[in-house]
Amino acid sequence: MSSEPWRAGAGYDPAAEELAELRELLLGADRRRIRELERRLDAAGVTGEELAELLPEAIALRARRDRQLARALAPTIEGAISESVRRNPREIATAIFPVLGPAIRKAIAEAFAGFAASINRAIEHSISPRGLAWRLESWRTGVPYPQIVLRHALIYRVEQVFLIHTETGLLLAQAAPADRPVTDADLVSGMLTAIRDFVGDAFGREQDAGGLRTFCVGELTVFVEQGPAAVLAAAVRGQAPEELHPRLQETLETIHLQFAGPLGEFHGDSEPFGPTVPLLEECLETRLATDRGERSRRRPAWIPWAVAAVLIAAVVGWRMYRSAREWNGALARLRAEPGIVVVDAERDWGQWRISGLRDPLAPEPAALLASVGVDTARVSGRWEPYLSGDPKFVNARSSPASARLSIERAIRRERVLFSVGSSGLDESAVIGHVSTEFRRLEALATAINGRAILTLVGRSDPTGSDAGNAALSRLRVEAARSALLERGVEASAIETRALGATSPLAAADPVERSTINRSVSFEVRVE
Amino acid sequence: MMQKKVCMVGVFGTGKTSLIQRFVHSRFSERYLSTVGVKIDRKDVDVDGAALTLILWDLAGRDGFEDITPSYLRGSHGILYVADGTRRETWEQLGELRALAREAAGDVPSVLAMNKGDLTDQWALPRSEEQKLAANWDVVRTSAKTGDGVEEAFLRLGRATIARREASR
Repeated sequence: MSSEPWRAGAGYDPAAEELAELRELLLGADRRRIRELERRLDAAGVTGEELAELLPEAIALRARRDRQLARALAPTIEGAISESVRRNPREIATAIFPVLGPAIRKAIAEAFAGFAASINRAIEHSISPRGLAWRLESWRTGVPYPQIVLRHALIYRVEQVFLIHTETGLLLAQAAPADRPVTDADLVSGMLTAIRDFVGDAFGREQDAGGLRTFCVGELTVFVEQGPAAVLAAAVRGQAPEELHPRLQETLETIHLQFAGPLGEFHGDSEPFGPTVPLLEECLETRLATDRGERSRRRPAWIPWAVAAVLIAAVVGWRMYRSAREWNGALARLRAEPGIVVVDAERDWGQWRISGLRDPLAPEPAALLASVGVDTARVSGRWEPYLSGDPKFVNARSSPASARLSIERAIRRERVLFSVGSSGLDESAVIGHVSTEFRRLEALATAINGRAILTLVGRSDPTGSDAGNAALSRLRVEAARSALLERGVEASAIETRALGATSPLAAADPVERSTINRSVSFEVRVE
Repeated sequence: MMQKKVCMVGVFGTGKTSLIQRFVHSRFSERYLSTVGVKIDRKDVDVDGAALTLILWDLAGRDGFEDITPSYLRGSHGILYVADGTRRETWEQLGELRALAREAAGDVPSVLAMNKGDLTDQWALPRSEEQKLAANWDVVRTSAKTGDGVEEAFLRLGRATIARREASR
C-alpha cells in the first residue's frame, strides 16, 4: 500500500496522508537515527564538525590524564613559533611586549634590592645635621625651607612626561606639575620625535632597537622609552637614576595593555588617552637626599612627641623634686621641735596629712610649717595631746608660776607698731607669736583651773586732736583683735583698751616716743 | 582634540618658511631646519565647525646636495607641497617629491601651494602647465607676502585629512 497522498491519475488520497503521519509518529525518530548511522558508516571517518565539537574536551581530558599530549604537541608549537618569528618578528615582539618587561624586571629586582638598600642607608646617615643647617639657612636668608632643601638636596625631579604616538609623533597625553605647566607640548612632542628620527637616521639605528633612549640638555635629562605604538618621554632635572628607566617602561607597558585598542586605531584624536594622565602623573616624582624609606619617614612624626614627652617628664620631675624637698624640710622642722612627735605623714595630690602627738606647751605645728614656707592651707593635721618628757616642758609643768611669768613676759615684750595716722596691720609675725604664747598661757591656766585674759592696749602719738587719737587707737586695737581671732584666740579671752595719747609710753627720744606710741601693746593676767 | 601630522615639502627657496612665519604658531627657531632638517609648528584650522590642529613638519627644502629625510614623512596624515610660481625647477621636481613622499607615508591627502603669487610680473607658470598641474594636484595659489590663499591651502588640506579618515571608517 502506497503512503503517498498524491498518486498520478488518482488525485489526493486522504487515507495515504494519515498513514504517512502515523508512520512518522511511530517510526520517525528511529528512521532518522538509522539514516545518520548509515551516513557515518558510508563516510568511514570523523567529520570536521564532529572534530571541532570533540577536540577541546578531548585535549582537556588527555591533559588531565598525563603529559603525553604536551610532549606530542611541543615540537609542533615550537616549530610554529620559530616560523612565526622568522617570518615576522615584529608581530611576536608586539604581542609579548607587555609581559616581557615585568618578567625581566622581576628577575633582576632582587639583585638590585641589596644594592639600593645600602645606598639608602648611606643617604639616611647624612641627613639630620644637614637638615638642621638648611633650616638655619632658611631662617637666616628668609628663603622658604622647601626651596633651600631643593637647592641643596634635589637628587632628581621628573618635571614633564609625554606620551607620544610612535608613528606620527603626535602628542597623546602629557603630565606636568600644576605650577610648571608645559606650553606647546604638542610641538615639543613633535620635535622630540623628529630628533629621535634624526638620531636614528644619523647613527644607523637598527630597526626596532629602541633608538634614542636618553639625552641631556643642560640640567635636564630626557628619558625616552620606546613601545610598539607609543613612546614615553620624561624630562628629569638633576641626577636621574637608571632605575627610572624600568619604572617608565612599566608605565608604558601598562598603557599598551589598557589602551591597545585606541593606540591601534589612532588617527589624530587624543581624547581616548585622557585616562592615561593619572598614570603619567605617577611618574612625576621628586627625590630628595632627605627622602628615606617608609620606616624612616615615620621618624620625624614621633620625634616631636618624644621631645615633648621628655620635656613634660622633666617638668613633672622637677616639680616632684621640689615638692619632696619642701615636704622633707617641713617634716624635719616638726620633728626637731620639742613637744611634737610626728606619727604619720603622707602626701596625696598636693594635700598633706600629718598626725601625731603634741605637748600643750609646744608651739602650734601650723605655725612651725608656715615658718619654713609651707602653704598651711593644704595641710590637715591631727594632733593628740601628750605630755612631753623634754626638760623644758617638765620644768614648765613642775613650776607653773615661773613658766607663767616667762610667758607673760614674752607677751608683754611684744608690740605691734603702726604708721602715722594708720591702723593697717602688717606685723603678722608679732600677732602669731603673741597668739602662740597666749595659748601656752591658757594651757597653764587650765592646769590650775584658771582663765587667761589678753588685753590689747591701743595708743597713738600726740599729734592731732584727742578725739581723733582715741578713735585711731581704737581702730588699731580692733585690727590686732581681728588678727588674733583669726589665729584661734577665743574672743572671750580678749579685752581691749583704746588710750589715744592720754597715757603714752615713755622714751627719751621724741621720735622714738612717737613711734612706740603708734602701737598696740599686750597685757595678760590669769584669773 | 583632533590633531593631524602634516608635512610641508618643497624645493629649497619656495617660501615654505615664510608661510609658516606669518601664518602659524612657531616655537622653535629656524636653525633647526639647517641642523635637524625639520622644524615643528602648529596651525589651528576650523573645518566645518570642528577644531583641527595641524602639527606642521616643515622639512628642509630639497636642494642640489640634500634630499628630504623620508623618516620625517612617516605617519603623515597629509602633505602640503610648496612650489614657487616664479621658478620652474620648483614645480618640475614635484613628481619626484611626491613619489618620495608616497614611499614613506603612503597615499595621503595633499595640497599644492603655488607660492609667491604676488610676484605677477615674474610669474613663470604658463596657463597651460597650470591646467596640467591642476589635473593631478589640488592647487592653491598662495602668497606669503599678502597672505592670499594661505588659509585656504591649510583649510583644504585639513578638510582632506578629515575626509580621508571618514572614508576609511
